[in-house]
Amino acid sequence: MSTLLYMHEDCDDHVTPPGHPEQVARLPAIRSALAGFDHLDRREVSLGTADDVLRCHTEAYLASVKDAVPAEGWVSLDADTHLSPGSLTAAWRGVGGCVAAVDAVLSGEAKTAFVACRPPGHHAERATAMGFCLFGNVAIAAKHALDVHGLSRVAVVDFDVHHGNGTQDLLWDEPRTLFISSHQMPLYPGTGAPNERGAHDNVINLPLAPMTGGVEMRRIYRDEAIPALDDFAPELVLISAGFDAHRDDPLANLNWTDEDFAWVTGAICDVADAHAGGRVVSTLEGGYDLHALGTSAAAHVRVLMERGG
Amino acid sequence: MSDTPIEKMSFEEAMRELETIVGQLDSGEVELEKSIALYERGAKLKAHCDAKLKEAEEKVATITADADGNAVGTQAFEVK
Repeated sequence: MSTLLYMHEDCDDHVTPPGHPEQVARLPAIRSALAGFDHLDRREVSLGTADDVLRCHTEAYLASVKDAVPAEGWVSLDADTHLSPGSLTAAWRGVGGCVAAVDAVLSGEAKTAFVACRPPGHHAERATAMGFCLFGNVAIAAKHALDVHGLSRVAVVDFDVHHGNGTQDLLWDEPRTLFISSHQMPLYPGTGAPNERGAHDNVINLPLAPMTGGVEMRRIYRDEAIPALDDFAPELVLISAGFDAHRDDPLANLNWTDEDFAWVTGAICDVADAHAGGRVVSTLEGGYDLHALGTSAAAHVRVLMERGG
Repeated sequence: MSDTPIEKMSFEEAMRELETIVGQLDSGEVELEKSIALYERGAKLKAHCDAKLKEAEEKVATITADADGNAVGTQAFEVK
């Protein structure tokens, strides 16, 4: 058994305007960092379906995104979030990859999976595209595991440097989920204070001060995130894996290293081992320094492979 | 954003802009891409305000008064 990797070349057709940090070159950077990982089980990514998306978003929103896709050039949904002609298909691959990864892991094909698609998802709210994101991939994966597979407890851990406001919005009133987000504060999108706790005490926000490095991050995870995750006893753990808390990232000021990403991955896998049969599905969010994105994603996947054994 | 370079700003100007930035960051009106630049400008403004306060602490102004007790000027108090 190995770790499943879901990537699709259609995701390279989500083209952002020149100079945009969420750029086409991100996935090639990950591909090349994972090139020597011979034991990864590389899977085809099918397109997600409207049923998948509508578990989290409104029909009107889905229709508005479809209608907005340009024949050429770009259309801006907000100051950060742009559609190119290939963006919608790319976004469908992200949804399809996450859903397929949940199916495969829950059917015992592997314990761990990494879905490296773009655009990312954790800022997309129920009826709002924002922060480079169109569809809430990780929340859609959680709903799929609950509604289609009949699980009763799914956890999402989001270590992207920005608060996962979209995932929080989509899972706010979903008592079968626990959403834990660590993120720099102050920073975009401004949400993610500890008093935002979800409709069922099912959201835990752990803001980190600028310049927070590995020692403090590990303390907070050890003292707060991991015990809460352990108490929840998830049957499946999903990760919103953003690599922009890396010290080299241009869009934030945290000081994590590749080893810190490996550590946090291992700590999450420990809980999955205890309660979820080791089942972990991770999906790519941010990470904007191409070199750091490659090395930290590789460190993350290496742990998923070791633990998925 | 003011055109005045931060190092030439008065304490009040810097505080005013810093408060605006904090408000923007808290409100989520800022773009993801620009959020970090805004935060970094905020950090510089805060450092400038800190320096201005420190300056003021070190330079306690002694108020000079005329015969009727009206303040006519200030004079830097030299810390010995």
